[in-house]
Amino acid sequence: MSNENVKTVTAEEPVNEDELFHFVPYSAEQAEAIGYSDYSYWGSVWKNFLKNKVAVLLAILFIALFIFSFIALAIGKYNFAELKPDTTMAFISPNSEYWFGTDNLGRDYWCQVWYASQTSIKLAAIVAVGECLLGVSIGLVWGYVRAADRFFTELYNLINNIPTIIYMTLIALLVGRTFTIMAVSMILIGWLTMARNVRNLVIMYRDREYNLASRCLGTPLGRILTKNILPYLISVIILRLSLSIPSTISLESTLSYLGLGLGDDTPSLGILLRDARNYFLNYPYLLIFPAVIVSIITVTFYLVGNAFSDAADPRNHV
Amino acid sequence: MDMLKYSIRRLLQGLITVLLIATVVFLLMRMLPTDYYFTEEQQMKFTDEQKEAALAAAGLTDPIGEQLLDFYVDLVHLDFGESRRIQSGVAVVDVIGEKFTISMRMGIISLAISLCLGVLLGIGQTIGKDHLVDHIGTAYTVFVNAVPALVSYSLVLVIGSRVFGLPSVYSSRVNTGLSMVLPTICISLSSIAGYALWTRRYMVDEITKDYIKLAKVKGLSTSQIMVRHVLRNAFVPLAQYLPASFLLTISGSLLAERFFSVPGMGPLLTDAISRYDLNIVQTLVILYGSLGVLGVFLGDVLMMLIDPRISLTGKGGGAR
Repeated sequence: MSNENVKTVTAEEPVNEDELFHFVPYSAEQAEAIGYSDYSYWGSVWKNFLKNKVAVLLAILFIALFIFSFIALAIGKYNFAELKPDTTMAFISPNSEYWFGTDNLGRDYWCQVWYASQTSIKLAAIVAVGECLLGVSIGLVWGYVRAADRFFTELYNLINNIPTIIYMTLIALLVGRTFTIMAVSMILIGWLTMARNVRNLVIMYRDREYNLASRCLGTPLGRILTKNILPYLISVIILRLSLSIPSTISLESTLSYLGLGLGDDTPSLGILLRDARNYFLNYPYLLIFPAVIVSIITVTFYLVGNAFSDAADPRNHV
Repeated sequence: MDMLKYSIRRLLQGLITVLLIATVVFLLMRMLPTDYYFTEEQQMKFTDEQKEAALAAAGLTDPIGEQLLDFYVDLVHLDFGESRRIQSGVAVVDVIGEKFTISMRMGIISLAISLCLGVLLGIGQTIGKDHLVDHIGTAYTVFVNAVPALVSYSLVLVIGSRVFGLPSVYSSRVNTGLSMVLPTICISLSSIAGYALWTRRYMVDEITKDYIKLAKVKGLSTSQIMVRHVLRNAFVPLAQYLPASFLLTISGSLLAERFFSVPGMGPLLTDAISRYDLNIVQTLVILYGSLGVLGVFLGDVLMMLIDPRISLTGKGGGAR
């Protein structure tokens, strides 16, 4: 409080010690005062995140795109559910009637593209959240409970050493290719990376002194995991969460291309790209629209995830 | 002597891992409905008894334990069996032998390209840190990592065939060399980014260390410092992955080979699963598993050769 006075004085002329140090009278109010800082964790995260201009811009672009996909479906001249193949109308370039043109079967491309974007976003979001919940809870137990470490490590090695494509092919052939099955099977394979990441961090923090003290004081296991350890993991979890969105979309498009993805009745961006493969050299608009949208989504989450996890790391806070 | 013992132990452990993987895949494949054993035509024509007889002749109706035992016995004799539906009656080894050269040739060319370009880009990014080259490199890395391969392959295809007039589909008869160009570029895209990213990461870590300051004070030129000191140290962790990626070029690239209709190894695994060609699936899994294990082991050895401070046997007394 008196700090500023001192500084201004010393800057101008040398002063004697009596002026610098002097007794203050007892004040009941001052004695009761509590040190105060307006630091708030999420406030700092937000402030740091806003500094990354590219990421903020892309995030806004993505939200706009997502909202627009609903508007686009509402104002489009055709309804996705009522599309009928009509080969006489095939390959019409974008015009005032068909805003994105028509595909090889003469169906309106506008409503397909926006419907597919929603499917892809929905799938990626569900898979990311599912992976995260399953991965974090298993990772916490895996890292914290020593007896479980051996079991989970062996399980991880076993699942991880077999190529993903074998699981996906088997699942597609065994139980089919609906939206729910895709989401569940991608979660069942995707939790591994998340769990391993969390496990490695938990092992680092498990035996720090404050946890030792907590255990001695009889804090229950659940509370140690959620209150003592989990907050350290937030930046890593957020990073994995947002990176899993581009990788889910990529995996989905690859699987759809190979005929192991979603069925033809629920078009995703991957399926549109697959269908475009044979025609886009002559009709480039069939490639451009889905490709641009898918790129915006994936690049956004890739950059936003990185920016947000940097911002969420308390070591980067002032 | 230590090294020999260590190698034998590592390779035996690897063998067990591969056997375990093979067993799990064997059991997983048995979960598929046997309907996939027949072509659609056979599915329509055959009566139930005929199907039953065909399955029994192939030994697929035996109890699972017995099948597994047969599988192990064949494996010990290095007998990988014959293909059933991919190329009926041809030995699995021959089916693979025919395909792997195509994949491996493209894979090795791509590995060489991406190693050169990737490491060069990484060096460029380190020297021009926070300048134009660095930003271009980062943008490239983000693009390749974030955007689905299907999109970037499509872009390569459009640019390659429209602007440069390269063939859009692989052909083994006409112009094989030229038709290999686009798939090879596609395979290289992501590995160039990978090498650039890690080269930059390790070099930037290395460049702040004291011995680099000393080298500067001694008056060495930037290129001498970069290549002789920084790169050599930064390359050690990268060397770990080289042998594995070299050996696994044999497996080809699933998406790129489908995309350009290359008759290579990539799509073989999924095709074999969906056609119930068990012998091919098992052989491929064993092959890839063994090469993977061997690759990681060789990677460790290579790392030790490049950096003498690293000791695998734990008795070298090194600081690490």
